[in-house]
Amino acid sequence: MSGTDQAAPANAVRSEVPALAARGLAKSFGAFRALKDVDLTVDAGEVVALLGENGSGKSTLVKILSGYHEPEPGGSLQMNGLDVPLPVPLGEARTIGLSFVYQDLGLAPNLQVVENLFVGHRVGGGAGSFARIRWGSERERAREIFESYGVKLDPNAQVGRLRPTSQALLAIVRAAEELREYRSGHAHSGGVLVLDEPTVFLPEHEKVFLFDLVRRVVADGIGVLFVSHDMTAVREIAHRAVVLRDGAKVGDVAVSSASDADLIEMVSGHRLERSVIEAATTYGSEAAAQAGGEVVMSVKNAQGGRARGVSFELHAGEILGIAGLLGAGSEDLPYLLFGDVPGGSGQLKLPDWSGDLTTLTPSRAIKLGMALVPADRKQHGAVAELSVGLNMLSLSLQKFMRGGFLRLDRLIGTANERAEAYDVRPRNAALNMAALSGGNQQKVVLSRWLEQAPRVLLLHEPTQGVDVATRHQIYELMRERAAEGVAILWVTTDFDELATVAHRILLCAHGAIAGTLAPPYTRDRITSEVYSATARGASREVTTAS
Amino acid sequence: MTTNVDNPAEPGSAPNPAGAPSSGSRPSRIFNARVAEATMLPVAFVLVIALFAILRPDTFFQWSNFTSIFGLNSVELVLVMALLIPLTNGDLDLSVAEISGMTSVLVGWLNVNHGWGIVPAILVGIAVGIACGALNGAIVVKFDVNPFIVTLATGSVFDGIAFWLPNQQTIPGIAPQLTQWTQLNHFLGIPLDFWYGIVILLVMFYVLTFTPFGQRALFIGQSREVARLSGFKVSSTRFWGFVVAGMIAAISGVINDGVLSSATPQNQGTLLLSVYAAAFLGLTTIQPGRFNAVGAGISVFFLAVAVNGMNLLGAQTYVQSLFYGIFLVVAVVLSRVIARRRAANASG
Repeated sequence: MSGTDQAAPANAVRSEVPALAARGLAKSFGAFRALKDVDLTVDAGEVVALLGENGSGKSTLVKILSGYHEPEPGGSLQMNGLDVPLPVPLGEARTIGLSFVYQDLGLAPNLQVVENLFVGHRVGGGAGSFARIRWGSERERAREIFESYGVKLDPNAQVGRLRPTSQALLAIVRAAEELREYRSGHAHSGGVLVLDEPTVFLPEHEKVFLFDLVRRVVADGIGVLFVSHDMTAVREIAHRAVVLRDGAKVGDVAVSSASDADLIEMVSGHRLERSVIEAATTYGSEAAAQAGGEVVMSVKNAQGGRARGVSFELHAGEILGIAGLLGAGSEDLPYLLFGDVPGGSGQLKLPDWSGDLTTLTPSRAIKLGMALVPADRKQHGAVAELSVGLNMLSLSLQKFMRGGFLRLDRLIGTANERAEAYDVRPRNAALNMAALSGGNQQKVVLSRWLEQAPRVLLLHEPTQGVDVATRHQIYELMRERAAEGVAILWVTTDFDELATVAHRILLCAHGAIAGTLAPPYTRDRITSEVYSATARGASREVTTAS
Repeated sequence: MTTNVDNPAEPGSAPNPAGAPSSGSRPSRIFNARVAEATMLPVAFVLVIALFAILRPDTFFQWSNFTSIFGLNSVELVLVMALLIPLTNGDLDLSVAEISGMTSVLVGWLNVNHGWGIVPAILVGIAVGIACGALNGAIVVKFDVNPFIVTLATGSVFDGIAFWLPNQQTIPGIAPQLTQWTQLNHFLGIPLDFWYGIVILLVMFYVLTFTPFGQRALFIGQSREVARLSGFKVSSTRFWGFVVAGMIAAISGVINDGVLSSATPQNQGTLLLSVYAAAFLGLTTIQPGRFNAVGAGISVFFLAVAVNGMNLLGAQTYVQSLFYGIFLVVAVVLSRVIARRRAANASG
């Protein structure tokens, strides 16, 4: 395929000078070359997707643009036709027409929407710091701004109480406003909005709001650099895709001329066969017949969080998928069954224990052979500032006691063996967790729990923020464990994933199980069934409420 | 709400005093940088000694001066050990100096004013210290409030009790056996109280580095959430951290009685600042990024030697306050700089 051809973006508002033109960007960390002479252009009014596995150099490139990393000498950066000296001064990116929205959005959850929106106006020092803020007119302006982007947001709302999608929209509007200001000082041209994986934590059906907003921003003539793993999102809004692998640019193609398989192949190199992706979808139906071992966990009327009476049985050797939209209650289920939801109740029956969920704690759940892989890796999954080895083996510390001494050298040695077994890169368990990419961190979290040889594995969004190749490694790993008899509960809003891995799928809506979905499983079928189950539940609620 | 201490340094990725793990992929340059970091303070220590030795060879650079520094700073040496478990857990305990001061007054009061034997007085003093720590821990854990504020408040209460018991008077004439067994009896030419501090240091080093308890505390200090979902008993670990802190603080109070042969209720601000300066200075050395016993112990004597040297050069006693304050800031800034540089090296 025409991997490195420079393709013309479709439907883009063209301008003579590119909004961003970087040449020969390179960066090494010690002996490791994270980025090798990468060129990147973003035209005005163009959406360029930046694709690549975790560790491919994407985040290094973004961090060079934000000024966090100093690139090696020899590179150059032009913004809107003007030479910008490198490194970009940290915190000054917006003065050269660059604005960033990261995955964590950078919003203050306890403050109001309007306070978050105009925080950029408060950066100037001096006497202006003490000028009176007229909140009435600020709110009015906020409303006008939201209107101009076609976004419905209440300026008075507390940001932390907004849905994740609304928070993402707010963050993007704020960044786009910064660029509008830049453009008003630069003959209304230039400006690049960098979106660093903004769709990861959003439910599938709400991403359209985000796409609409991005289209509006682009229509103004602003360029967008869209960093993402989400192929659907890329296909939806990007004109051109730039693919990085091992720090080098391996592809620069018009999205319309490349298939998903083409893109995935560029991202992952030779490692992922196309047939694997295509065959995977039919896997569920075959394997469903094989599943059906003894019941290892039976749940009756589990309540807590958004779950309001969930009952099901989980068998040895099966991967049971729970499909539900965000807010359906399925997202609370893994934590509820692990004894980590305050006020959770319901009957739980395991082979050697049965009782009420009110008496269950995480430490007890672990003793009973349960394991939980939480969705939010940064908050709940692993400690970035401790070593990979400690994160991996924190539950097995007793095994490394020799004569009353905890032998960390042995621990690191064992962790290095596990890193080899689970393909954690780099293979150095003494490194801090923070040095690993998202996909590799997730492998560490998984290996920590697999080390305990659990009978029941509770997974919540286990591939969130994980690159395509690692995703398939995780699927394979879970299938192997299921084949060995581990019962796996897989809760996710990624229905493509469920279609790929699940032996059996339960639909969850309005806090309860709405039914079992019969195979064959495809993403489209799961999606439509979940939506109709949610709609049915909603109408029943209306009738019973009256 | 969790109230983790803003740990200024990112703990080293090779927390491994028992020998570095084999890591072929790692350039030796970085390893050397790490060794340089870990030994920065000991090297500075030697330089400071050399400087004062040149300036005041007759008074400073004498073995007798060093033994007296060792003997007279055992209270600080013991007290800094009290801080380590709470700090590793991500908790600040600001009441340790007051627990120490109150215990020292209590033991003297029981022994002198009430005619108790010294041994029962000491046992009661230590029990009270444990109770004070348990009070701190219970309030912090049970009601999930910021330990910074709680221990600031309880410390003030303990301080008040210390002044109240002896009616704001110094209690002279504490049983001479206590002075015998702390200040007067020597081992290897150094007063025994120094060796008590060393024993507690070794125990603390062992607990933090070589036990699962210490490693779990690290996780708890870094992320309460991860620790809880790993099944660690977060609340009870934090509680026992405060209890142990109270106990060790009480021991330092008893040693103080022995060193001075009397007990005086006094403001403990300088003592608190000196032990925090030592704990945070210790964060930059030996096991950089970790609150570690050996680093904290070296830091106590680094600060003590520097103050002693300046006194011999003619500085007044207020130089201590000045100096400890400056060093607390320097230590915190230094550990932050190290962490930043390391984070820049690690991310890719």
